[in-house]
Amino acid sequence: MLLLLGILLLRLTLGGSYVYYVKASMKPFLLLTAAVLLALAVWSLWQSWRRTEEHDDGHGHDGVPRVAWLMVLPVMVVFLVSPRPLGAFTAARQLATAPVVAEPAELLPLPAGDPVDVPIADYITRAVWGQGQTLEGREVRLTGFVTPDPEGGWWVTRLGLACCAADALSFRARVLDAEDLPANSWVEVTGRWVPGDSGDPAIPLIEADDVERVPEPRNPYE
Amino acid sequence: MEILALAAVALLLLQPFLAGRLTNPALQAGATIFVSIVIQALPFLVLGVVLSAAIAAFVPDSFWQKALPKRPGLAVPVAGCAGAVLPGCECASVPVSGSLMSRGVAPAAALAFLLSAPAINPIVVISTFVAFPGEPMMAVARFGASLVTAVIVGWIWLKWGRGEWLRVPSRRHIEGQARWQTFAAAATHDLLHAGGFLVVGGIAAAILNVAVPQQWLQTLAEHPALAILGLALLAVLLSICSEADAFVAASLTQFSLTARLAFLVVGPMVDLKLISLQAGTFGKSFMYRFAPTTFVVAVLMATLFGWWLL
Repeated sequence: MLLLLGILLLRLTLGGSYVYYVKASMKPFLLLTAAVLLALAVWSLWQSWRRTEEHDDGHGHDGVPRVAWLMVLPVMVVFLVSPRPLGAFTAARQLATAPVVAEPAELLPLPAGDPVDVPIADYITRAVWGQGQTLEGREVRLTGFVTPDPEGGWWVTRLGLACCAADALSFRARVLDAEDLPANSWVEVTGRWVPGDSGDPAIPLIEADDVERVPEPRNPYE
Repeated sequence: MEILALAAVALLLLQPFLAGRLTNPALQAGATIFVSIVIQALPFLVLGVVLSAAIAAFVPDSFWQKALPKRPGLAVPVAGCAGAVLPGCECASVPVSGSLMSRGVAPAAALAFLLSAPAINPIVVISTFVAFPGEPMMAVARFGASLVTAVIVGWIWLKWGRGEWLRVPSRRHIEGQARWQTFAAAATHDLLHAGGFLVVGGIAAAILNVAVPQQWLQTLAEHPALAILGLALLAVLLSICSEADAFVAASLTQFSLTARLAFLVVGPMVDLKLISLQAGTFGKSFMYRFAPTTFVVAVLMATLFGWWLL
């Protein structure tokens, strides 16, 4: 049982898809955990093998408790459903709650070069808290997935994790002047900041010059 | 068990057929959240299990008699404060406190430790501080309300709790065995139990995470009293790790600060995966009494501290 779970953890971590579920900085802890699980699994296998050899002393081993079999479930789910990173479904559910980005102490100017890549959370910070001063006159590129607005148009969206996918927060910017795209397609939006909001003061606008479809990044979260 | 094995084989055979069909977005999101809760919690659970096995194998009983005051009434607050040094989240504290009890620490004191450890350790306090940049009192209020709740619940248990409600994890101390042997046996045993219950809690939390309509939250936020109760319940349902919940609370901007404080105080003490873990470690009759009591005390303390400090 522990062997199975340890192998799952090891596979997800080394295969890189662990970033779908938890923050990338968890990697060393996951590897350590997998090592402990595997060590304990090997130890108990060796124990039970030795006991069969010795024809059992009659106590001190209670086998695997029933509830432990439930640990097969995560393994099965990964194998069967092969869950994808959270996307537009989760982002759309959060439309009612405007996620805030913490007010920064000061905003540094954007690095040189046009267009400049900006994380969406950073874009929101600069637009909402900095009144767009650091964005004015610059060409920026946002990378995220498409969350369609039921009333037309879409947001370029990225989910942010504090710890794991259960606490994902959505960061969005409204894309103006772009044709509709299917939900969850990954795009690079190159454009300029424009003042105003689309009804929610926490969601800034971006006037798109160019929208390019791109493959999903290795780490889908910000 | 055999049925489960059969089901597993059947599912594996059907895998190519099923994988194409399980594309419903809610199901996908639920599955991702389920797996992520389990993967996120495992390192902490393993840390807790290893720590508690180490306590069982390497720390002599006499240490606890010396370290904690003799009178249980005094031991409760001391144990509550000791929670500040275990840098883990709630999954780690369940096996550790179980192991403390089986080493002769008064249950009330071990329970105070169980409640305070995930809420007031340095990592959690710092992350709360970071998540509420304009509100430094939030971290202070969280620390205070959580510690006071842990101590009060410990005292309640001391006064009214009955021994038979609580199944103290049996003491595995086999004489003549090597210490490492004891250590590995204790760790494997705890992990097999706690891991299963973690899965149960993870499933429940994932379903609710996907199924609770966001409009309910909007309606709740408009009534101050309901908002506090509503966020406290949400904390129970979502089962977010105590090291991350501050960021989620910060994003619930339509709620009052006091309501969000209730979210932060209740979450690390009572939530679905924790209830499941506690039922597995201490027994069901314990869990039925302990979880509601803790919930009520935590909500009251959060309200009090919120009204006083925020």
